Amino acid sequence: MNEFDQAYLVPDGTDLQGIKDALEARCRIGEDEPRHLLRRFHDTFDWSLYLAGGVLEERIDGHQRVMMWRDLNDEVPVLACELDRDLGFAADLPPGPDTERLARLLGIRRLLPLLDVHSRILTWRLLNEDDKTIARLELEQNRYDDKARERQGPISTRLRLHAVKGYEADFRDTARLLNEELGLSLVRTELLLEALASAGRKPGDYSSQLNFRLDPDRRADATTKEILLHLLNTIEVNVPGTRDNLDSEFLHDLRVAVRRTRSALTQIKDVFAPDVVEQYKDAFGWIGEFTGPVRDLDVYLLDFNAYQACLPEPLRPHLEPLRDFIHAHYGEEQKNLVEHLDSKRFRDLLRDWRAFLEAPVPESSVVPNAMRPVMAVANDRIWTMYRRVRKEGRAMTPASPAEDMHELRKSCKKLRYLIEFFDSLYPKQEVRQLVKLLKVLLDNLGKFQDLAVQADHLREMAQRMRDEDRASTDTLLTMGILVGDLLEHQHRAREEFAEIFAGFDSDEHQGLFKSLFDAQKRQGKGA
Amino acid sequence: MKIIASYNIKGGVGKTATAVNLAYLSAREGYRTLIWDLDPQGAATYYFRVKPKVKGGTKALVSGHQDLDDLVKGTDFERLDLLPADFSYRNMDLLLEDNKRPTKQLQKLLAPMAIAYDYVFLDCPPSISLVSENVFRASHALLVPMIPTTLSARTLAQLQDFLEGHDGLGKTNLMPFFSMVDRRKHLHLHLMESLPQSFPSFLKTSIPYATEVERMGITRMPLPAYAPSSNPVTRAYEALWQEIKAGIKGSAMWATAG
Ligand SMILES: Nc1ncnc2c1ncn2[C@@H]1O[C@H](COP(=O)(O)OP(=O)(O)OP(=O)(O)O)[C@@H](O)[C@H]1O
Ligand SMILES: [Mg+2]
Repeated sequence: MNEFDQAYLVPDGTDLQGIKDALEARCRIGEDEPRHLLRRFHDTFDWSLYLAGGVLEERIDGHQRVMMWRDLNDEVPVLACELDRDLGFAADLPPGPDTERLARLLGIRRLLPLLDVHSRILTWRLLNEDDKTIARLELEQNRYDDKARERQGPISTRLRLHAVKGYEADFRDTARLLNEELGLSLVRTELLLEALASAGRKPGDYSSQLNFRLDPDRRADATTKEILLHLLNTIEVNVPGTRDNLDSEFLHDLRVAVRRTRSALTQIKDVFAPDVVEQYKDAFGWIGEFTGPVRDLDVYLLDFNAYQACLPEPLRPHLEPLRDFIHAHYGEEQKNLVEHLDSKRFRDLLRDWRAFLEAPVPESSVVPNAMRPVMAVANDRIWTMYRRVRKEGRAMTPASPAEDMHELRKSCKKLRYLIEFFDSLYPKQEVRQLVKLLKVLLDNLGKFQDLAVQADHLREMAQRMRDEDRASTDTLLTMGILVGDLLEHQHRAREEFAEIFAGFDSDEHQGLFKSLFDAQKRQGKGA
Repeated sequence: MKIIASYNIKGGVGKTATAVNLAYLSAREGYRTLIWDLDPQGAATYYFRVKPKVKGGTKALVSGHQDLDDLVKGTDFERLDLLPADFSYRNMDLLLEDNKRPTKQLQKLLAPMAIAYDYVFLDCPPSISLVSENVFRASHALLVPMIPTTLSARTLAQLQDFLEGHDGLGKTNLMPFFSMVDRRKHLHLHLMESLPQSFPSFLKTSIPYATEVERMGITRMPLPAYAPSSNPVTRAYEALWQEIKAGIKGSAMWATAG
């Protein structure tokens, strides 16, 4: 906090008139008309500003509207500028060198309002014998308003003391009076955090990251439920944002959590009854299906500029009709998605699934892995899946069909998810290294498959655009160039595979897998 | 940072009223503004209810031993600060002479303020002296309020002679304008017709004579702070400020000074 700007907490039930009287015993006080200040706090859905230690406020004070980016618990802004537009994506920020840093933090994510704080401000000006203002006090009575959750209520009153330049001694005198004689103490809680707490929310209360602390000796079925429950929470947290389509990341995170759910169900084998696994595997497959089309369009829109950039300059404008086409169909796909999210089937599915996950595990179970310590099951599953990846990868030749590459990719993904579910059971650094390794391999396999799918998709869209009479010959030809480009990149990914896989399958990495998952398996058996 | 001086060799023509009111309007518009009361009588300082006292006196200030910024007082108005007068300013000429470059010392003292202020207004004492020469050299605009009388016309000619006769002052951005205009007086109207013809840089806006201006001494506030924009004198000051701002942007001085 600035040396000459201080905020004091005014506890509930404080006699405000008493404060004023104490001040008036010292000097005359000028009182300004009360005014109203609105602070609207913003962040991305995954709290990227908060996690970087910052707060973004939009302040509406009379007819002034400003944006302030500051550090948590610090009133002095890093960036303050007038705002003549609504906040949204990085591109919507007022231009300037300081906003660029903010834009980088936002990336592709959108700023969303977190909640509002309304303040009624009473200004007391402390005057000297010439009726000159020598310090300012602002009594700020605050209320939070969490519109999205329809909650509101009072939060603590604050008294802010501001120095007038050249009258620092008077500022210090007043600070002493407030502190020593009136017993007020400096505010220690960031206003945003207090408002969130009052609204029953935690900052950063959403994270798509898996972050478990598993107990190696706990039963495998109970642990698997814990993992799945976390994934279900992630799915549910992302439903409103997906429905309102405020940012493509909501849908993306929802889909990742759905995929992980299916993977946990089928890959942590023999912990639940087979009919439960069958039923929910299909049900989550259904979610994956109906959320796919909008995600595909999102990917096109996100990559559109990159697509355009890889075309020769004169051809770039010809691609614009494709963007228009995507936008034109977006609404329809989004509507379809929302209908599914609002359907009884979807709601029942999440409710039943939660009921199953929250129910205690049966005291005894005949399902083979259910009652084993999770560590033993994790070792088994990861080791088995690793060996499958190794086998499939080693069998790959330049002549192998594309399906083999797809199969290998699936195995790799399963392995990666398994390691991520159970990573807290293993030494952190080693596991992180393995996940990184898998990411490189998956990246290559993903390119091979996704680029082919995208090329197919583009061809299909070109066809539809022609049918709807939305594409000139130039546009179709330009899309053709793009298809060629995608296929060329795909081809390159195929060529690079052998080398990347060899890196994954090095002696050192083999040893690492073995020491982590196989050696421990033997130890587990011995115990 | 742009420096605007309110100056006339003659006294009682509205220099202080101009500096105080324009500085207020500049701050109200959002510019970080400083007004430096260079007149040992301290009229501007009085209007802002600040004590006419400078720590260490003129000597410490002029020699550069005292940071200007430490002497600045916040006024009752947002973004508007004041560097107060001090009775010892009456010796400023003598102290300036002790410097290596006696006519550029003011400019040098003000230079570090550029990070904190967009506009600096200088309220000058009536005289022609080393202080005024310093003011001319430092300013991006030299406002000369003048009552429309024949005598005023002569002092303006004198000022122009002075500027042209001194190295580097020929390009001073001279902005004379009429102040305390009484439209009932024939002579005023006549001079307002003729004088601007021989001074192309004469400003179009003039400030009428009005008793509201005199009330500044009673309210101890800039005029627009107590007289709303519906008041013709307030409106005149607002128009004057816009014309001056545009004049500074358009001038060649802008590229070289500051
Ligand atoms: N437009 C006006 N109408 C009526 N009175 C005015 C006007 N402008 C200034 N005055 C009054 O005239 C007197 C002199 O004005 P001001 O102090 O602004 O002039 P000055 O040039 O700064 O004087 P000095 O040379 O003494 O510093 C003051 O009493 C002021 O209130
Ligand atoms: Mg004066």
